Amino acid sequence: MDAYDQGERGHPRAPGPSAPDPSAPGPSAPGPHVAPRTGIAALSLRYQVGVALALAVVAAAVCVHLGMTFLHVAPPNTVTKEHGQAVDDWIYPEFEQNWKLFAPNPLQQDISIQARAEVRDGEGATVTTGWYDLSAEDGRAIDGNLLPSHTQQNELRRAWDFLVATHDSENRPVGLRGSLSESYLRRIVVLRLGRDDAVRAATGGGGAVERVQVRSRTSNVPPPGWSREKVSTTPSYRELPWWPVPRAEAEGGVR
Amino acid sequence: MNRFSLALSRGIARVTEAALGPYQTAVIRIGLSATWLLFLLRELPHRHELYGPDGPWSWNLAEQLIGTNGAFTALMWSDGRVWFELVYAVAILAGALLLLGWRTRTMSVLFMAGVLSLQNRSVFVGDGGDNVLHLMSVYLVFTRCAQVWSLDARRASRARAAHARGERVTDRTGPALWCVLGFVLAAVTLAGRMEGEKLIPALLWTVWVAQALWWLAGRRAKSAEPRIMLDVVANVVHNGALLVIMAEACLIYATAGWYKVQGSRWQDGTAVYYPLHLEYFSPWPALADLLSASGTLVMLVTYGTVLVQVAFPFTLFNRRVKNVLLAVMITEHAVIAVVLGLPFFSLAMIAADAVFLPTAFLRRLGGRAARARDRLLRRHRRTPVTGQHAEEDPEATHVGFGT
Repeated sequence: MDAYDQGERGHPRAPGPSAPDPSAPGPSAPGPHVAPRTGIAALSLRYQVGVALALAVVAAAVCVHLGMTFLHVAPPNTVTKEHGQAVDDWIYPEFEQNWKLFAPNPLQQDISIQARAEVRDGEGATVTTGWYDLSAEDGRAIDGNLLPSHTQQNELRRAWDFLVATHDSENRPVGLRGSLSESYLRRIVVLRLGRDDAVRAATGGGGAVERVQVRSRTSNVPPPGWSREKVSTTPSYRELPWWPVPRAEAEGGVR
Repeated sequence: MNRFSLALSRGIARVTEAALGPYQTAVIRIGLSATWLLFLLRELPHRHELYGPDGPWSWNLAEQLIGTNGAFTALMWSDGRVWFELVYAVAILAGALLLLGWRTRTMSVLFMAGVLSLQNRSVFVGDGGDNVLHLMSVYLVFTRCAQVWSLDARRASRARAAHARGERVTDRTGPALWCVLGFVLAAVTLAGRMEGEKLIPALLWTVWVAQALWWLAGRRAKSAEPRIMLDVVANVVHNGALLVIMAEACLIYATAGWYKVQGSRWQDGTAVYYPLHLEYFSPWPALADLLSASGTLVMLVTYGTVLVQVAFPFTLFNRRVKNVLLAVMITEHAVIAVVLGLPFFSLAMIAADAVFLPTAFLRRLGGRAARARDRLLRRHRRTPVTGQHAEEDPEATHVGFGT
């Protein structure tokens, strides 16, 4: 209580004491009500040393944290070439950040993720569905939407980014993250095709998805009308191999 | 030399004797928790798809990835659906209570645990807004962000008034909450679920122990010194965290700005046109067309964006210029919220920006909010019990609202 009053004197704008600690008995604290002098001046040397120590620790922590964060967001440089590991150890996993928002250049292409499935119908025949443009579905869901969901705006888009970042130019997965990204995208596709009722549309009745295939369709955003720029409007495709779908997944395992 | 040591001692006095920026820290507390709360409520129908054990990013996939980076998430403690629902519910509750400033330190810890649990569970569904919330939720734990505009502030002022009348107020909720959370923390630690990165578990335990120390120091009759020391240390930690929050906001703008300077589209003045016409960021195509109808306007906005982002950290040295830029940035984010369909990203950025708002403005805002609330309450209470309102200590209801 006394301490709070000190704080207020130092900062006249603070109208109320802070009571951030739930376990704090706060003003109810029993004890003699002595009026000590301000802040640290009220403390004996023993406690002043404690405060000085805390001050030093906090100052050091703040400096190191800000320095590490700066090096993390800065371009690769002399210091990070030498001490990159130390920076990463400090930053990951909880302080990771990326603020290259629409930088250095904003994306100038629409990347549509499309998918189709191979379905075995009731009689055992195999049918291949047409391509479903899942990104276009997202786009329609976002149209006129004041509160787009992460499921519409980020899920598929970022799953594709993840896959591209963890695959080589021959569409082979690189490392654990590569295979994780395949499972992730496959599960999204199975979920989406399930919602689109792709099996029924293909077989006219029951059936099960056995394999899925994903491709991306990349097309340039047409340049603004007032610019004299010309870009190709022909889309380019990147087609991934067929992926087998585990039975549990095909039967509604992804929700 | 003499002048230097004088400045140093003045600086030390400043950061030890008060938790600075009570209104600013309160407004970011309210802004960030409201953003997160609204996000969780908005995604309520999609929560299983985003974070649930059977979602596309299944529990097993998450387990493999987290095995490599050790990120903190309570959702990996069990793959059960009930556990998932419980964590989601606690995240909502912690967001709401942090917003109100009830047992704020504890709620800020639970809020952080909720944010990290959900976001680290599914790292591939987030965007810049999630990133801001992630960082700020950690920083907020270190602040005394309930000095004003909170139930804690009201409780403290009531207790102070009672104390002045010579009454004794015993707090039972605080210790009970502390015991329950300590039990959970111990159970989780003993069960070996806190493996991985040690940072967050260490933080949880530290706060828990610190609260016990604070309580003990308050009860000690012999000397006020331990309590004063803890109070001073809490101020120092708060002020350090406040500096980190401000620096983080500057880093966000500086990074965004300086990387843009290098881009050809930001140089030729067409950059703003493109996001407006991407399938994923154009909820209102007609509006986007309207906004980008004039090449000159697009160029002005493009250059203006880069200019403001690069310049912002430097304008902190001049209050007036800083406030103008702040208004520009908050407006731009409000526009982005609608035009690019990024409401939660924009809200999180505006909440972070709010740390730079001037105190006088915030107090005016608080006063207006308090008056609006009182009007609302009066209207509601007119019909039922009239005596009840009069009984309340007017001072107590107004605490923290700039009276």
